Amino acid sequence: MKHIVKRAGHTELYDERKLYASIFSACQSVREPMGSAELIADKVVSDIAEWIEKKHEVTSNDIRHTASKHLSAYNPDAGYMYLHHRVVW
Amino acid sequence: MAYRTNHKKPQDMDFDLIVIGTGSGGGVAAHMASSKGKKVAVVEQEKIGGECPNYGCVPTKAILQAAETYKVIKHAKNFGINVDKVSVDMPAIKKWKDQAVKNTGTEEGLSAYNADGIKVINGHAHFINPWTISVAGKRYKAHHFLIATGTHDLVPPIPGLKETGYIGYRQALDLTALPKKLCIIGGGAIGSEFTHYFSTFGVEVHLMEFAERLMIREDVEMGELLEAIFEHNGVNVHTGSKVIKVEKKGSQKVVSFEHLGKIQTITVDEILLAAGKVPNTDLGLENANVDYDARRGITVNSMMQTSNPHIYAAGDVVGGYMFTHVASYQSRIVGHNMFSTLKHVADYRAVPRCVFVDPEFASVGVNEQELREKGLKYQSAIISTAIIGRANTSQEDTGFVKILADRKGRVLGASIVAPRAGEMIQELTLAVQWRMKASKIDYTMHAYPTWGQAVRICASKIVCR
Repeated sequence: MKHIVKRAGHTELYDERKLYASIFSACQSVREPMGSAELIADKVVSDIAEWIEKKHEVTSNDIRHTASKHLSAYNPDAGYMYLHHRVVW
Repeated sequence: MAYRTNHKKPQDMDFDLIVIGTGSGGGVAAHMASSKGKKVAVVEQEKIGGECPNYGCVPTKAILQAAETYKVIKHAKNFGINVDKVSVDMPAIKKWKDQAVKNTGTEEGLSAYNADGIKVINGHAHFINPWTISVAGKRYKAHHFLIATGTHDLVPPIPGLKETGYIGYRQALDLTALPKKLCIIGGGAIGSEFTHYFSTFGVEVHLMEFAERLMIREDVEMGELLEAIFEHNGVNVHTGSKVIKVEKKGSQKVVSFEHLGKIQTITVDEILLAAGKVPNTDLGLENANVDYDARRGITVNSMMQTSNPHIYAAGDVVGGYMFTHVASYQSRIVGHNMFSTLKHVADYRAVPRCVFVDPEFASVGVNEQELREKGLKYQSAIISTAIIGRANTSQEDTGFVKILADRKGRVLGASIVAPRAGEMIQELTLAVQWRMKASKIDYTMHAYPTWGQAVRICASKIVCR
């Protein structure tokens, strides 16, 4: 079970659906077509699953920065938007 | 550094020091702190002891000893010894290598920590904030941290490499059968040692190096001589070559590379990747306000402190010289500085560097190119090891000793190629460290007939004022 340490200090269970939704939104905000936005979100979620595998706890900042790094590889603009728009987790 | 966090130091700490990594960079400081009465924990996600005894220096030297023994037997006839048949038993070499690793006592490392009252925590450490790490679902707080997480293999972005498959040096150590043809990508110390190992046993080795010569950070003579030795031993050395594509062809692998604008291909049974190392920095360092570069490693000052002063780093993870002796030196500095008001600073003037091929290559201090770039006036002397008595009795006439000194004759750097270069460099390391004049080496009696005599003769060529 993976936990996310939130900015306020409390923890939440890691929810892939939240990450997927935020990546998808970031892609749409830079006019990525819906189909490829879904594919990119899938890939980033899969990249993060691999990264988080050995870790039991990470911070929401870790998720934000790591996901942004992976997202930037597929769509740099979406990666920038994702990192700099405060995404509510 | 991507972002910074602002956390107050907690009042209740679990440990005085938590060391992340039990290799040379971590272990020394952990034991030093414990001997000072501090409450210490170490975190390890792999084998106790880290890279050097388990996958690095020790097992590679063990298999290179097998190669040296093979070579000695092959040349036994030259010394009047007849040997009928020589064969290589790879499973037995692996068994010997495993025994050598076992002999280091890393398996007892856990009990050594326990005996010192050091808690061993297994798992991957991740910083939650500057004072807290999370390991295997539990949190631990400490006044100080030492990050000594080492490195992992650099996998260059070569199209087809991952799909085709390759082995790293860890897998190469465990091979129980020799490939007929092998492509080694990377002509640094690891690539060169494995080139020597496999070619000694008759494997057709293709050594790929992107730089214009092997051992690019050392004096030109070193790289040129190593290439000449390898080629004399039947190795195909491809310097100035960039691997551009790798493909699978049946059970074999096709490596395409570019050399002087022309694309060439070779077909091999296996690819051994030795293209470099990347520091292990995936530890949530941003949460701890620790600055780092994903390729170069954690940034530290000369006292081994990171950008967050209560967090230290040592060993390969800080980049620079990636040697066990450097890691343990840095760890000693950390072990001292962490709990002392009078701080020690790291001094890298005299770092000995060895490549265990045949003959051995060793160097210390600055090289000629560095001196030229700095615009410093220097003098150099070089002699062939073939002129000394030991070369005659050993039938080993390949090698040299080169000394670089300032205008007054103080030794600044040296390079040695000789059968015992790793031992011979110690004398010159002492000279570089303590700014000795070459005349002090010259006026010191050296036993006859030893390889060390070459150092004295070379030192005698330096003018001391």
